[in-house]
Amino acid sequence: MRISEQWLREFVDPPASTRDLAERLTSAGIEVTAISEGLPALDHVLVGEVRNVEPHPQADRLRVCTVFVGKGKSLQIVCGAANVNTGMRVAVILPGGHLPDGSEIHTTQLRGVKSQGMLCSARELGLGDDDAGLLALPAEAKVGHLLIRELGGADKVLEIEITPNRGDCLSALGVARELAALYGQKLRLPDCSPVKPGIKDRLTARIEALAACPVFAGRIIRGLRADAVTPMWLRERLRRAGLRSLHPVVDVTQYVMLELGQPLHAYDLKRLSGGIQVRMARSGESLKLLDGNKHTLEPDILVIADHKHVLGVAGIMGGSDSSVQPGTADIYLEAAFFSPDAISGRQRKLGLQTEAAYRFERGVDPTGQTRALERATRLLQEIAGGQAGPITKVAATPRVRARLRLRQAKLVQSLGMLIPGKAVSGILAGLGFMPSRHGHNWQVSAPAHRFDIEREEDLVEEVGRIFGYDKIPAIPYPAGQRMLPLPEERLPVSRLRDTLVARGYQEVITYSFVDAQLQVRLTGSPGIALANPISAEMNAMRQSLWPGLIQTLRYNLNRQQQRVRIFECGMRFIQQHTEIKQENVIAGLIFGLQDPLQWGLPQRNNDFADLRGDVEALLGAGGHTKRVDAVADTHPALHPSQAAKLMLGGMNIGWLGALHPAVARELDLNGPVFMFELSLEPLRQKRITEAAPITAFPALSRDLALVVEETIPAGRILDLTREAGHPLVSEVRIFDIYRGKGIDSGRKSVALSLILQDSSRTLTDEAADATMRKVVQRLQDELGATIRD
Amino acid sequence: MQKFDQLIQEAQARIAASGSLVALDEVRVHYLGKKGVLTEQLKALGALPASERPAAGQQTNQAKHAVTAMLDARRRELEAQTLSAQLTAATVDVTLPGRGQEPGGLHPVTQILERVQALFASLGFGVEEGPEIEDEFHNFDALNFKPGHPARAEMDTFYLKDWPLLLRTHTSPVQVRALLKHGAPLRIIAPGRTFRHDYDVTHTPMFHQVEGLLVDKEVSMAHLRGVLTDFLQRFFERDDLRLRFRPSYFPFVEPGAEVDINCIFCDGAGCRVCKHSGWLEVLGCGLVHPNVLDACRVDPRRYSGWAFGVGIERLGMLRYGISDIRMNFENDLRFLRQFR
Ligand SMILES: [Zn+2]
Repeated sequence: MRISEQWLREFVDPPASTRDLAERLTSAGIEVTAISEGLPALDHVLVGEVRNVEPHPQADRLRVCTVFVGKGKSLQIVCGAANVNTGMRVAVILPGGHLPDGSEIHTTQLRGVKSQGMLCSARELGLGDDDAGLLALPAEAKVGHLLIRELGGADKVLEIEITPNRGDCLSALGVARELAALYGQKLRLPDCSPVKPGIKDRLTARIEALAACPVFAGRIIRGLRADAVTPMWLRERLRRAGLRSLHPVVDVTQYVMLELGQPLHAYDLKRLSGGIQVRMARSGESLKLLDGNKHTLEPDILVIADHKHVLGVAGIMGGSDSSVQPGTADIYLEAAFFSPDAISGRQRKLGLQTEAAYRFERGVDPTGQTRALERATRLLQEIAGGQAGPITKVAATPRVRARLRLRQAKLVQSLGMLIPGKAVSGILAGLGFMPSRHGHNWQVSAPAHRFDIEREEDLVEEVGRIFGYDKIPAIPYPAGQRMLPLPEERLPVSRLRDTLVARGYQEVITYSFVDAQLQVRLTGSPGIALANPISAEMNAMRQSLWPGLIQTLRYNLNRQQQRVRIFECGMRFIQQHTEIKQENVIAGLIFGLQDPLQWGLPQRNNDFADLRGDVEALLGAGGHTKRVDAVADTHPALHPSQAAKLMLGGMNIGWLGALHPAVARELDLNGPVFMFELSLEPLRQKRITEAAPITAFPALSRDLALVVEETIPAGRILDLTREAGHPLVSEVRIFDIYRGKGIDSGRKSVALSLILQDSSRTLTDEAADATMRKVVQRLQDELGATIRD
Repeated sequence: MQKFDQLIQEAQARIAASGSLVALDEVRVHYLGKKGVLTEQLKALGALPASERPAAGQQTNQAKHAVTAMLDARRRELEAQTLSAQLTAATVDVTLPGRGQEPGGLHPVTQILERVQALFASLGFGVEEGPEIEDEFHNFDALNFKPGHPARAEMDTFYLKDWPLLLRTHTSPVQVRALLKHGAPLRIIAPGRTFRHDYDVTHTPMFHQVEGLLVDKEVSMAHLRGVLTDFLQRFFERDDLRLRFRPSYFPFVEPGAEVDINCIFCDGAGCRVCKHSGWLEVLGCGLVHPNVLDACRVDPRRYSGWAFGVGIERLGMLRYGISDIRMNFENDLRFLRQFR
């Protein structure tokens, strides 16, 4: 909200600078986010009087004006505005002066006639967007004075951010009330005393929805002058608040809303048939609003109607048919209290955003309708004359608000500081809470406009914020009595992250929502859709971290990166029947050279085994390496011959493999991409070690080279060897795989290194050989292996 | 006598001339081998008359010792030379970069989260986590957001299409879950991802928050200020950091406050980052609203509490100078590598 400082000071004028006002407001929770100049730079603009207007001898559209600028001085100025008239008060810039945009005015020749300055439009002066003609100044404007003086002198505009609970501050009055409480000053209200009705006309109003509209008030005003114009000072107030001047009646309603916080609406009386009805819209009802669009209404929208038509959407926007027009002489002026529940959310639904709805949503003073009508009537009569009818008001029985208790003990306990009782009383009184003190307690009644005050805690905040939050001391809170639990059977995620970092991975964080189409390609289904996505690229919850990692890869490849190793930890979201499983996973992706370019290692692209090594390192953090099996299987994202699921005791805990080449091609990725994704929880489970004694007896080592069919998985060979070698074989490693010369095609040679160990005695060669024979026998029997010498 | 002097002189010359251990060994064999000159001399002693034997034996032995000593000295010399040559030959270029993988790095958001967690752990705050897809109850209702209230609309919530669920707009629902699960007293922090429907230079639709909650008997704003002062001074490693509390509004706290710190870029003198105010907004906080305690089945007459919520990307901006929040999620490796 933008509000003029001059306006505020009409209500309350503390001896403080603008900056001081702003700081006090901010420290009381009414945040002033910016202070700007109320007026453009008008240092060189004078008030002049047009004394004579002659046609230009050379140009039909130009006039030659004689303009009196005071002190006996008259100037000849050529002017193209159509509205220039003898006797008119105008804004003049003399030669040597400047427009607000900085351009200098010179004496010139215009089509052969000397012009000694410039007459200005509102737009040229930065005082509005009207550039149809010269800015017409009021007849009282003093010729020869600086225009700035006529506009009330320098002013500042405060930009204020009001939190959603403080609807009462959305007006000059509201902010002034805060200032009065903060500076301990009295508030001066504008004249809102009743206007004596000059006519008896009235319009009946009937409220069908009393809960949605607890108060509805209005009056007829007849005989407004058609030629009335909004005075300069009022236009300026609107402009400084960021509103445009439209029509004297509308300007007055806007003005009173900015001043008192009560939105008003004016109808063209001759467009109304019969009395007013306040009711919920009927299904299918529609109407054209002031935004120029036709809106279809739903039954949760409150409307104002007459006996024939819907006139407008209550509290949000009026209809265009019943609105005041240029020349409207008779009006019906409405001031209502619509409950926030009946308004909130509706403007969004209708695609509208209005000042009135903004205020009704946050709540207006339920007792302020008559005051606003009287104030508006006075202003209208000043500007456009007319006779007012009596105010008619329909209202529900007002809600009785309980008196609240505030205890000194509660204040001390909540704020952690003692505020002297006298100060508390003063603050409560200053805010209009009418406190009565009983020892260390107060009984208070919140004023009508403070509908946000409901309980003692609210009063604590009120007293605290006016006294000053910044006076609250900082008291250390003791550390916990017990140390935090540190479950050793659950690895911290940082161990897994660090494992990957040590292996050259950079952590990334990608969005939790991804492109559903990409997700279909990578997971086989689009995933859970968002109702209101930011964009089509972020329209579904990720079922895997792979879409994000692949997009990150593409982003970086497009930025000259050739070697990418990235990982992410986060949630994926998978629909399981009628539930959504939200599961933490860790996923990684590698692309390009396995090692950074260097002198001591051959350059080679990474492959499945590199990825598998990284996955094993992750499994190893919790000691799972040997208990997890990789099983060849297919996955929509993965190369059908380079994909494995990881099984831990019958449970699938993740996948690894190469990105499917067809997908890679679609995504313009030229080169294999290897990826893994593992459920985090199983990885984090760790067994607490029970240490066994280290045997004193030496171990023996044996090598074994066997030739098997290409299709025999290495995992099978390792498993069988361990099984057959039990209990002596304590370790088996594959140290070579060979295909080619000397080996039949379709077969491969696998070289094993075994460590044999007997923990209870020195292992003899004979015993070791016996075990090796058992191993060989098993491999021959079950895998058809032949032994190479 | 003369014979031996000459022999020793000759041996000395030959030993000095031998340039390798092999050559030196040949000299040794020549004098001391089985058929060496001096060995033969010793053998010949037996043929001498008994009267000459002692003197001749002594001379021969003296010569043998002299030659042996010269051989040993020369051998040590040659060995030292060999070793030195071997060492020189094995010279490596110590300036050559090492072999193998280069370490990666953690995302700055993770680094800040870990830092915040460590600081609060030292005050006994454990970490609680909750779902990112939430329901209205935990994200709004239990946190005293009235249906239809503008505060609820201001949250710019993402909703799911076919489910009555939403993406949490803050990590505050974890407060609710933790209180319902553990009851009071309780002290926790809840870090995690949060989502709001907003995307421009200063907003990303996803960001990270740490929510802090302490519920106990007789908890005050002064304690909150104490803990937050401690936290921010430790986080920024500046014991002279000052905090400013400003009243503000969050439905789940009352009283509520916004916390500013004096600008760490200009020390409060005013600069572009602080928009010349000298203050930087860092977090929101307040005393837990009694309605929230009620909703979490904690008796507000017996317990009170405070809560705060701090934006991790905001801390990253202040700590590391990440001026554009969107950089956090573009994942440009050139950006991320700076945080190694
Ligand atoms: Zn600064």
